Amino acid sequence: METPKGNLCKEPTFNEFYTTHVQAASNFAFYKCGNQAEALDLVQEAFVKLWENCAKVDFSKAKSYLWTTVNHMFLNSVRHQKVVLNYAKETPYIDRDNQNPEFLLEEDEFKAKLLEAIEDLTPSQREVFLLNRIEGKKYREIADELDVSQKTVEKHMSAALKLLRAKFDNI
Amino acid sequence: MQNEKNILNWFNREGSQEDLGADKDARIFEKIAHYASHIDVPKVDVESALANIKTRTAQVEKVKVRRLHVSRYYKMAVAAIVVLALGYFTLFNTTKSYQTDIAQTIHFNLPDQSEVTLNANSSISFNKKSWKEQRDLELNGEAYFKVEKGQKFTVITSQGKVQVLGTQFNVKERDDYFEVHCYEGLVAVSYNGSQLQLSKGKTFRIVNGQPSDVTDFGTLAPEWLSDESSFKEVPYKEVIAEFERQFDLKIEMKQVDENQLFTGSFTHNNKNTALKSITIPLQLSYKIDGKNVIVYKYEGN
Repeated sequence: METPKGNLCKEPTFNEFYTTHVQAASNFAFYKCGNQAEALDLVQEAFVKLWENCAKVDFSKAKSYLWTTVNHMFLNSVRHQKVVLNYAKETPYIDRDNQNPEFLLEEDEFKAKLLEAIEDLTPSQREVFLLNRIEGKKYREIADELDVSQKTVEKHMSAALKLLRAKFDNI
Repeated sequence: MQNEKNILNWFNREGSQEDLGADKDARIFEKIAHYASHIDVPKVDVESALANIKTRTAQVEKVKVRRLHVSRYYKMAVAAIVVLALGYFTLFNTTKSYQTDIAQTIHFNLPDQSEVTLNANSSISFNKKSWKEQRDLELNGEAYFKVEKGQKFTVITSQGKVQVLGTQFNVKERDDYFEVHCYEGLVAVSYNGSQLQLSKGKTFRIVNGQPSDVTDFGTLAPEWLSDESSFKEVPYKEVIAEFERQFDLKIEMKQVDENQLFTGSFTHNNKNTALKSITIPLQLSYKIDGKNVIVYKYEGN
Protein backbone atom coordinates (compact mmCIF):
# COMPACT_ATOMS: atom_id res chain seq x y z
CA MET A 1 0.00 0.00 0.00
CA GLU A 2 3.00 2.28 0.14
CA THR A 3 2.66 2.88 -3.56
CA PRO A 4 -0.32 5.14 -4.14
CA LYS A 5 -1.09 3.56 -7.47
CA GLY A 6 -0.13 -0.07 -7.17
CA ASN A 7 -0.75 -2.19 -10.19
CA LEU A 8 -2.28 -5.51 -9.25
CA CYS A 9 -1.40 -6.98 -12.63
CA LYS A 10 2.25 -6.80 -11.63
CA GLU A 11 3.16 -10.01 -9.94
CA PRO A 12 5.19 -8.61 -7.04
CA THR A 13 2.36 -6.19 -6.20
CA PHE A 14 -0.18 -8.96 -6.35
CA ASN A 15 1.98 -11.25 -4.24
CA GLU A 16 2.39 -8.60 -1.60
CA PHE A 17 -1.30 -7.86 -1.60
CA TYR A 18 -1.99 -11.56 -1.29
CA THR A 19 0.40 -12.09 1.59
CA THR A 20 -0.98 -9.07 3.44
CA HIS A 21 -4.61 -10.00 3.16
CA VAL A 22 -4.97 -13.74 2.79
CA GLN A 23 -5.19 -14.47 6.51
CA ALA A 24 -7.79 -11.78 7.17
CA ALA A 25 -9.78 -12.83 4.14
CA SER A 26 -9.66 -16.43 5.25
CA ASN A 27 -10.84 -15.45 8.76
CA PHE A 28 -13.66 -13.49 7.25
CA ALA A 29 -14.75 -16.44 5.13
CA PHE A 30 -14.32 -18.76 8.08
CA TYR A 31 -16.64 -16.75 10.34
CA LYS A 32 -19.21 -16.90 7.63
CA CYS A 33 -19.08 -20.53 6.61
CA GLY A 34 -17.51 -22.01 9.73
CA ASN A 35 -15.42 -24.45 7.76
CA GLN A 36 -11.70 -24.29 7.27
CA ALA A 37 -11.45 -26.01 3.87
CA GLU A 38 -14.39 -24.16 2.40
CA ALA A 39 -13.06 -20.86 3.71
CA LEU A 40 -9.68 -21.25 2.04
CA ASP A 41 -11.36 -22.40 -1.17
CA LEU A 42 -13.55 -19.31 -1.28
CA VAL A 43 -10.61 -17.06 -0.60
CA GLN A 44 -8.41 -18.64 -3.25
CA GLU A 45 -11.17 -18.36 -5.80
CA ALA A 46 -11.71 -14.75 -4.90
CA PHE A 47 -8.01 -14.02 -5.36
CA VAL A 48 -8.01 -15.73 -8.73
CA LYS A 49 -10.95 -13.57 -9.70
CA LEU A 50 -9.11 -10.49 -8.52
CA TRP A 51 -6.10 -11.51 -10.62
CA GLU A 52 -8.28 -11.99 -13.67
CA ASN A 53 -9.73 -8.54 -13.19
CA CYS A 54 -6.53 -6.92 -12.01
CA ALA A 55 -6.69 -4.27 -14.71
CA LYS A 56 -10.22 -3.24 -13.83
CA VAL A 57 -9.88 -3.09 -10.06
CA ASP A 58 -8.39 0.02 -8.53
CA PHE A 59 -5.73 -0.82 -5.99
CA SER A 60 -7.43 1.20 -3.26
CA LYS A 61 -10.62 -0.78 -3.77
CA ALA A 62 -8.95 -4.16 -4.08
CA LYS A 63 -9.55 -5.17 -0.49
CA SER A 64 -13.24 -4.40 -0.54
CA TYR A 65 -13.47 -6.09 -3.94
CA LEU A 66 -11.95 -9.17 -2.38
CA TRP A 67 -14.33 -9.15 0.58
CA THR A 68 -17.34 -8.64 -1.66
CA THR A 69 -16.21 -11.47 -3.93
CA VAL A 70 -15.79 -13.84 -1.00
CA ASN A 71 -19.25 -12.87 0.13
CA HIS A 72 -20.81 -13.47 -3.29
CA MET A 73 -18.99 -16.71 -3.74
CA PHE A 74 -20.21 -17.85 -0.38
CA LEU A 75 -23.79 -17.02 -1.30
CA ASN A 76 -23.43 -18.69 -4.67
CA SER A 77 -21.79 -21.89 -3.52
CA VAL A 78 -24.79 -24.14 -3.51
CA ARG A 79 -23.88 -26.74 -0.97
CA HIS A 80 -22.29 -25.53 2.21
CA GLN A 81 -20.24 -27.86 4.25
CA LYS A 82 -21.01 -28.44 7.87
CA VAL A 83 -20.08 -25.69 10.27
CA VAL A 84 -17.31 -26.98 12.52
CA LEU A 85 -15.88 -24.73 15.16
CA ASN A 86 -13.32 -25.51 17.82
CA TYR A 87 -11.74 -23.75 20.71
CA ALA A 88 -8.10 -22.83 20.62
CA LYS A 89 -5.88 -25.34 22.43
CA GLU A 90 -5.18 -23.27 25.50
CA THR A 91 -8.46 -21.63 26.30
CA PRO A 92 -8.36 -20.37 29.88
CA TYR A 93 -11.37 -20.86 32.10
CA ILE A 94 -13.18 -17.67 32.99
CA ASP A 95 -12.15 -18.15 36.59
CA ARG A 96 -8.53 -19.21 36.32
CA ASP A 97 -8.06 -19.85 40.03
CA ASN A 98 -10.97 -22.14 40.49
CA GLN A 99 -9.79 -25.70 40.07
CA ASN A 100 -12.89 -27.26 41.61
CA PRO A 101 -13.69 -30.27 39.40
CA GLU A 102 -17.38 -29.52 39.52
CA PHE A 103 -16.77 -25.99 38.26
CA LEU A 104 -14.51 -27.26 35.47
CA LEU A 105 -17.09 -29.78 34.38
CA GLU A 106 -19.80 -27.15 34.31
CA GLU A 107 -17.60 -24.83 32.32
CA ASP A 108 -16.76 -27.51 29.76
CA GLU A 109 -20.42 -28.20 29.34
CA PHE A 110 -21.07 -24.51 28.88
CA LYS A 111 -18.31 -24.27 26.28
CA ALA A 112 -19.63 -27.19 24.27
CA LYS A 113 -23.14 -25.79 24.30
CA LEU A 114 -21.88 -22.36 23.26
CA LEU A 115 -19.97 -23.78 20.33
CA GLU A 116 -23.05 -25.59 19.12
CA ALA A 117 -25.12 -22.45 19.49
CA ILE A 118 -22.65 -20.40 17.46
CA GLU A 119 -22.61 -23.07 14.78
CA ASP A 120 -26.39 -22.72 14.59
CA LEU A 121 -26.35 -18.97 14.01
CA THR A 122 -27.01 -17.67 10.51
CA PRO A 123 -23.87 -16.83 8.52
CA SER A 124 -24.41 -13.08 8.92
CA GLN A 125 -25.00 -13.34 12.64
CA ARG A 126 -21.99 -15.57 13.12
CA GLU A 127 -19.82 -13.32 11.02
CA VAL A 128 -20.63 -10.22 13.03
CA PHE A 129 -20.47 -12.01 16.34
CA LEU A 130 -17.07 -13.62 15.66
CA LEU A 131 -15.56 -10.50 14.12
CA ASN A 132 -16.48 -8.79 17.35
CA ARG A 133 -15.37 -11.59 19.65
CA ILE A 134 -12.29 -13.04 17.98
CA GLU A 135 -10.90 -9.97 16.29
CA GLY A 136 -12.21 -7.57 18.91
CA LYS A 137 -13.64 -5.31 16.26
CA LYS A 138 -16.15 -2.60 17.11
CA TYR A 139 -19.51 -2.48 15.39
CA ARG A 140 -18.40 0.60 13.45
CA GLU A 141 -15.34 -1.22 12.07
CA ILE A 142 -17.35 -4.30 11.17
CA ALA A 143 -19.90 -2.14 9.36
CA ASP A 144 -17.11 -0.51 7.34
CA GLU A 145 -15.57 -3.82 6.49
CA LEU A 146 -18.81 -5.42 5.37
CA ASP A 147 -19.99 -2.26 3.71
CA VAL A 148 -23.27 -2.16 5.64
CA SER A 149 -24.67 0.29 8.18
CA GLN A 150 -23.77 0.10 11.84
CA LYS A 151 -27.45 -0.44 12.57
CA THR A 152 -27.41 -3.63 10.53
CA VAL A 153 -24.39 -4.89 12.41
CA GLU A 154 -26.07 -4.14 15.73
CA LYS A 155 -29.19 -5.91 14.56
CA HIS A 156 -27.23 -9.07 13.68
CA MET A 157 -25.26 -8.90 16.91
CA SER A 158 -28.37 -8.45 18.99
CA ALA A 159 -30.10 -11.37 17.28
CA ALA A 160 -27.01 -13.52 17.76
CA LEU A 161 -26.82 -12.67 21.47
CA LYS A 162 -30.50 -13.45 21.95
CA LEU A 163 -30.12 -16.86 20.32
CA LEU A 164 -27.02 -17.68 22.29
CA ARG A 165 -28.61 -16.54 25.55
CA ALA A 166 -31.66 -18.68 24.84
CA LYS A 167 -29.46 -21.79 24.81
CA PHE A 168 -28.74 -21.28 28.48
CA ASP A 169 -32.25 -20.56 29.65
CA ASN A 170 -32.36 -23.45 32.04
CA ILE A 171 -29.15 -22.65 33.82
CA MET B 1 -33.15 -9.73 26.84
CA GLN B 2 -33.61 -6.80 29.20
CA ASN B 3 -31.29 -3.84 28.88
CA GLU B 4 -30.44 -4.91 25.30
CA LYS B 5 -28.75 -1.61 24.56
CA ASN B 6 -26.42 -1.98 27.54
CA ILE B 7 -25.44 -5.48 26.64
CA LEU B 8 -24.69 -4.50 23.06
CA ASN B 9 -22.58 -1.64 24.32
CA TRP B 10 -20.75 -3.88 26.71
CA PHE B 11 -19.85 -6.29 23.88
CA ASN B 12 -18.65 -3.28 21.94
CA ARG B 13 -16.33 -2.42 24.84
CA GLU B 14 -18.24 0.78 25.41
CA GLY B 15 -20.49 -0.03 28.34
CA SER B 16 -19.28 -0.37 31.88
CA GLN B 17 -19.51 -3.46 34.04
CA GLU B 18 -22.35 -1.83 35.98
CA ASP B 19 -24.38 -1.40 32.82
CA LEU B 20 -24.14 -5.10 32.19
CA GLY B 21 -25.39 -5.75 35.66
CA ALA B 22 -24.61 -8.50 38.10
CA ASP B 23 -27.46 -10.90 37.68
CA LYS B 24 -27.56 -14.38 36.14
CA ASP B 25 -28.00 -12.91 32.68
CA ALA B 26 -24.91 -10.82 33.05
CA ARG B 27 -22.83 -13.81 34.17
CA ILE B 28 -23.96 -15.84 31.18
CA PHE B 29 -23.09 -13.04 28.78
CA GLU B 30 -19.70 -12.69 30.39
CA LYS B 31 -19.08 -16.36 29.81
CA ILE B 32 -20.33 -16.16 26.22
CA ALA B 33 -18.08 -13.20 25.58
CA HIS B 34 -15.09 -14.89 27.17
CA TYR B 35 -15.29 -18.33 25.62
CA ALA B 36 -16.39 -17.18 22.17
CA SER B 37 -13.29 -15.06 21.88
CA HIS B 38 -11.22 -18.23 22.22
CA ILE B 39 -12.62 -19.96 19.19
CA ASP B 40 -9.82 -21.25 17.04
CA VAL B 41 -9.27 -19.63 13.67
CA PRO B 42 -7.47 -21.74 11.07
CA LYS B 43 -4.05 -20.38 10.26
CA VAL B 44 -3.37 -20.02 6.55
CA ASP B 45 -0.03 -21.33 5.39
CA VAL B 46 0.56 -18.25 3.30
CA GLU B 47 3.47 -19.59 1.32
CA SER B 48 1.88 -22.81 0.16
CA ALA B 49 -1.43 -21.05 -0.44
CA LEU B 50 0.36 -18.52 -2.63
CA ALA B 51 2.12 -21.28 -4.51
CA ASN B 52 -1.20 -22.99 -4.98
CA ILE B 53 -2.85 -19.87 -6.34
CA LYS B 54 0.07 -19.37 -8.72
CA THR B 55 -0.76 -22.63 -10.46
CA ARG B 56 -4.37 -21.52 -10.73
CA THR B 57 -3.58 -18.06 -12.04
CA ALA B 58 -1.10 -19.54 -14.48
CA GLN B 59 -3.94 -21.49 -16.00
CA VAL B 60 -6.10 -18.42 -16.06
CA GLU B 61 -3.39 -16.45 -17.79
CA LYS B 62 -3.15 -18.98 -20.56
CA VAL B 63 -6.79 -18.54 -21.45
CA LYS B 64 -6.89 -14.79 -21.05
CA VAL B 65 -8.69 -13.59 -24.14
CA ARG B 66 -7.98 -10.52 -26.14
CA ARG B 67 -10.81 -9.67 -28.44
CA LEU B 68 -9.99 -8.90 -32.04
CA HIS B 69 -12.06 -6.48 -33.98
CA VAL B 70 -11.84 -7.55 -37.58
CA SER B 71 -14.30 -7.29 -40.37
CA ARG B 72 -16.17 -10.29 -41.63
CA TYR B 73 -14.26 -10.12 -44.88
CA TYR B 74 -11.03 -10.48 -43.05
CA LYS B 75 -12.32 -13.38 -41.07
CA MET B 76 -13.43 -15.20 -44.20
CA ALA B 77 -10.11 -14.56 -45.89
CA VAL B 78 -8.21 -15.80 -42.85
CA ALA B 79 -10.41 -18.87 -42.64
CA ALA B 80 -9.75 -19.64 -46.29
CA ILE B 81 -6.01 -19.29 -45.83
CA VAL B 82 -6.07 -21.52 -42.79
CA VAL B 83 -7.97 -24.20 -44.66
CA LEU B 84 -5.60 -24.00 -47.62
CA ALA B 85 -2.53 -24.04 -45.46
CA LEU B 86 -3.78 -26.97 -43.44
CA GLY B 87 -4.61 -28.84 -46.60
CA TYR B 88 -1.20 -28.09 -48.03
CA PHE B 89 0.59 -29.28 -44.95
CA THR B 90 -1.37 -32.48 -44.57
CA LEU B 91 -1.01 -33.32 -48.25
CA PHE B 92 2.49 -32.24 -49.06
CA ASN B 93 4.49 -31.66 -45.95
CA THR B 94 5.36 -35.16 -45.00
CA THR B 95 8.87 -34.48 -43.81
CA LYS B 96 9.43 -35.63 -40.30
CA SER B 97 12.37 -34.30 -38.30
CA TYR B 98 13.94 -35.08 -34.99
CA GLN B 99 16.45 -32.95 -33.21
CA THR B 100 18.52 -33.22 -30.07
CA ASP B 101 20.18 -30.56 -27.95
CA ILE B 102 23.42 -30.75 -26.12
CA ALA B 103 23.52 -33.59 -23.59
CA GLN B 104 20.37 -35.15 -25.00
CA THR B 105 19.78 -38.39 -26.89
CA ILE B 106 16.52 -39.65 -28.30
CA HIS B 107 15.37 -42.98 -29.56
CA PHE B 108 12.60 -43.49 -32.08
CA ASN B 109 11.27 -45.88 -34.68
CA LEU B 110 11.02 -45.24 -38.39
CA PRO B 111 7.81 -46.15 -40.25
CA ASP B 112 9.20 -49.62 -41.03
CA GLN B 113 10.14 -50.19 -37.38
CA SER B 114 13.83 -49.61 -38.01
CA GLU B 115 15.30 -48.07 -34.91
CA VAL B 116 17.24 -44.86 -34.63
CA THR B 117 19.07 -43.44 -31.65
CA LEU B 118 20.14 -39.87 -32.11
CA ASN B 119 23.15 -38.65 -30.16
CA ALA B 120 23.51 -35.18 -28.68
CA ASN B 121 23.31 -32.04 -30.81
CA SER B 122 22.19 -33.86 -33.95
CA SER B 123 19.25 -33.79 -36.29
CA ILE B 124 17.64 -36.18 -38.68
CA SER B 125 14.84 -35.85 -41.21
CA PHE B 126 13.06 -38.11 -43.65
CA ASN B 127 9.96 -38.32 -45.76
CA LYS B 128 7.21 -40.23 -44.05
CA LYS B 129 5.11 -40.58 -47.15
CA SER B 130 7.60 -42.14 -49.48
CA TRP B 131 9.40 -44.14 -46.82
CA LYS B 132 8.06 -47.43 -48.15
CA GLU B 133 9.58 -46.87 -51.57
CA GLN B 134 12.64 -44.98 -50.58
CA ARG B 135 14.33 -45.32 -47.24
CA ASP B 136 16.41 -42.15 -47.37
CA LEU B 137 17.21 -39.96 -44.46
CA GLU B 138 19.35 -36.96 -43.88
CA LEU B 139 21.63 -36.86 -40.90
CA ASN B 140 23.50 -34.07 -39.29
CA GLY B 141 25.54 -35.31 -36.37
CA GLU B 142 25.65 -38.80 -34.95
CA ALA B 143 23.15 -41.62 -34.89
CA TYR B 144 22.96 -45.35 -34.44
CA PHE B 145 20.74 -47.38 -36.74
CA LYS B 146 19.20 -50.78 -36.42
CA VAL B 147 17.70 -51.36 -39.82
CA GLU B 148 14.86 -53.73 -40.62
CA LYS B 149 15.34 -55.79 -43.74
CA GLY B 150 13.84 -54.27 -46.86
CA GLN B 151 14.62 -51.71 -49.52
CA LYS B 152 17.94 -49.97 -49.65
CA PHE B 153 18.41 -47.85 -46.56
CA THR B 154 20.40 -44.69 -47.17
CA VAL B 155 21.82 -42.22 -44.73
CA ILE B 156 22.78 -39.00 -46.45
CA THR B 157 25.21 -36.65 -44.76
CA SER B 158 27.01 -33.61 -46.07
CA GLN B 159 30.22 -35.66 -46.24
CA GLY B 160 29.13 -39.00 -47.55
CA LYS B 161 26.40 -41.53 -48.07
CA VAL B 162 25.92 -44.77 -46.19
CA GLN B 163 23.84 -47.52 -47.71
CA VAL B 164 22.68 -50.79 -46.27
CA LEU B 165 20.05 -53.45 -46.66
CA GLY B 166 19.49 -54.52 -43.12
CA THR B 167 22.04 -54.13 -40.41
CA GLN B 168 23.23 -52.15 -37.44
CA PHE B 169 25.56 -49.27 -37.81
CA ASN B 170 26.60 -45.93 -36.43
CA VAL B 171 27.17 -42.78 -38.45
CA LYS B 172 29.02 -39.83 -37.05
CA GLU B 173 29.28 -36.71 -39.13
CA ARG B 174 30.79 -33.67 -37.47
CA ASP B 175 32.99 -30.81 -38.62
CA ASP B 176 36.02 -32.31 -40.39
CA TYR B 177 35.04 -35.71 -39.12
CA PHE B 178 33.09 -38.54 -40.70
CA GLU B 179 32.92 -42.02 -39.28
CA VAL B 180 30.88 -45.13 -39.93
CA HIS B 181 30.92 -48.15 -37.67
CA CYS B 182 29.36 -51.39 -38.79
CA TYR B 183 27.99 -53.52 -35.98
CA GLU B 184 26.14 -56.11 -38.02
CA GLY B 185 25.66 -57.01 -41.67
CA LEU B 186 27.25 -55.10 -44.48
CA VAL B 187 27.40 -51.33 -44.97
CA ALA B 188 28.26 -49.52 -48.17
CA VAL B 189 29.86 -46.11 -47.74
CA SER B 190 30.11 -43.67 -50.63
CA TYR B 191 32.61 -40.96 -50.11
CA ASN B 192 33.97 -38.55 -52.66
CA GLY B 193 32.78 -40.66 -55.60
CA SER B 194 34.34 -43.86 -54.37
CA GLN B 195 32.51 -46.65 -52.67
CA LEU B 196 33.63 -49.19 -50.16
CA GLN B 197 32.04 -51.95 -48.22
CA LEU B 198 32.25 -52.32 -44.51
CA SER B 199 31.67 -55.62 -42.78
CA LYS B 200 30.96 -56.32 -39.15
CA GLY B 201 33.49 -54.86 -36.75
CA LYS B 202 34.95 -52.49 -39.33
CA THR B 203 35.21 -48.73 -39.18
CA PHE B 204 35.46 -46.16 -41.90
CA ARG B 205 36.81 -42.82 -40.81
CA ILE B 206 37.70 -39.57 -42.55
CA VAL B 207 39.50 -36.92 -40.58
CA ASN B 208 40.16 -33.53 -42.15
CA GLY B 209 39.32 -35.02 -45.54
CA GLN B 210 41.85 -37.84 -45.16
CA PRO B 211 40.87 -41.47 -44.67
CA SER B 212 42.48 -42.96 -41.61
CA ASP B 213 43.04 -46.58 -40.72
CA VAL B 214 41.24 -47.84 -37.72
CA THR B 215 41.69 -51.24 -36.18
CA ASP B 216 38.67 -53.50 -35.81
CA PHE B 217 36.53 -53.19 -32.76
CA GLY B 218 34.62 -55.79 -30.84
CA THR B 219 31.68 -54.07 -29.26
CA LEU B 220 28.10 -54.94 -30.17
CA ALA B 221 26.71 -51.43 -30.07
CA PRO B 222 28.13 -47.93 -29.78
CA GLU B 223 29.25 -46.97 -26.29
CA TRP B 224 27.27 -43.75 -26.36
CA LEU B 225 24.08 -45.80 -26.19
CA SER B 226 25.17 -46.72 -22.67
CA ASP B 227 26.07 -43.15 -21.75
CA GLU B 228 29.69 -43.33 -22.66
CA SER B 229 31.72 -41.94 -25.54
CA SER B 230 34.55 -44.10 -26.72
CA PHE B 231 37.43 -43.24 -29.02
CA LYS B 232 40.10 -45.14 -30.79
CA GLU B 233 42.96 -43.05 -32.13
CA VAL B 234 40.76 -40.05 -32.66
CA PRO B 235 42.14 -36.50 -32.95
CA TYR B 236 41.88 -34.80 -29.59
CA LYS B 237 39.83 -31.88 -30.89
CA GLU B 238 37.04 -34.25 -31.92
CA VAL B 239 37.09 -35.76 -28.44
CA ILE B 240 36.74 -32.27 -27.00
CA ALA B 241 33.93 -31.45 -29.44
CA GLU B 242 32.10 -34.60 -28.40
CA PHE B 243 32.57 -33.69 -24.77
CA GLU B 244 31.01 -30.29 -25.40
CA ARG B 245 28.05 -31.99 -27.05
CA GLN B 246 27.45 -34.29 -24.12
CA PHE B 247 27.88 -31.73 -21.37
CA ASP B 248 26.70 -28.19 -21.60
CA LEU B 249 30.24 -26.87 -21.21
CA LYS B 250 32.66 -24.89 -23.32
CA ILE B 251 36.23 -26.09 -23.41
CA GLU B 252 39.20 -23.87 -24.02
CA MET B 253 42.54 -25.50 -24.72
CA LYS B 254 45.82 -23.90 -23.72
CA GLN B 255 49.02 -25.17 -25.27
CA VAL B 256 47.45 -28.48 -26.14
CA ASP B 257 48.08 -30.34 -29.38
CA GLU B 258 44.61 -30.61 -30.88
CA ASN B 259 45.60 -33.23 -33.39
CA GLN B 260 47.23 -35.77 -31.12
CA LEU B 261 45.38 -39.04 -31.14
CA PHE B 262 43.31 -40.12 -28.21
CA THR B 263 42.20 -43.59 -27.28
CA GLY B 264 39.84 -43.95 -24.39
CA SER B 265 36.36 -43.11 -23.28
CA PHE B 266 34.39 -40.84 -21.03
CA THR B 267 31.12 -41.18 -19.18
CA HIS B 268 28.12 -38.92 -19.84
CA ASN B 269 26.97 -39.05 -16.27
CA ASN B 270 29.61 -37.16 -14.38
CA LYS B 271 31.51 -34.24 -15.80
CA ASN B 272 34.41 -34.50 -13.37
CA THR B 273 35.02 -38.16 -14.02
CA ALA B 274 34.65 -37.50 -17.71
CA LEU B 275 37.11 -34.62 -17.63
CA LYS B 276 39.61 -36.71 -15.76
CA SER B 277 39.35 -39.53 -18.28
CA ILE B 278 40.12 -37.24 -21.18
CA THR B 279 42.89 -35.20 -19.54
CA ILE B 280 44.96 -37.45 -17.29
CA PRO B 281 46.02 -39.95 -20.02
CA LEU B 282 47.50 -37.06 -21.98
CA GLN B 283 49.05 -35.49 -18.90
CA LEU B 284 46.72 -32.56 -19.08
CA SER B 285 44.86 -30.82 -16.32
CA TYR B 286 41.66 -28.81 -16.21
CA LYS B 287 39.91 -26.03 -14.37
CA ILE B 288 36.12 -25.60 -14.27
CA ASP B 289 34.82 -22.08 -14.16
CA GLY B 290 31.04 -22.04 -14.41
CA LYS B 291 30.16 -23.11 -17.94
CA ASN B 292 33.73 -22.91 -19.11
CA VAL B 293 36.51 -25.41 -18.73
CA ILE B 294 40.14 -24.70 -19.36
CA VAL B 295 42.30 -27.65 -20.35
CA TYR B 296 46.01 -27.04 -20.06
CA LYS B 297 49.33 -28.79 -20.05
CA TYR B 298 50.16 -30.02 -16.62
CA GLU B 299 53.54 -28.63 -15.62
CA GLY B 300 53.64 -29.94 -12.10
CA ASN B 301 56.58 -31.32 -10.20
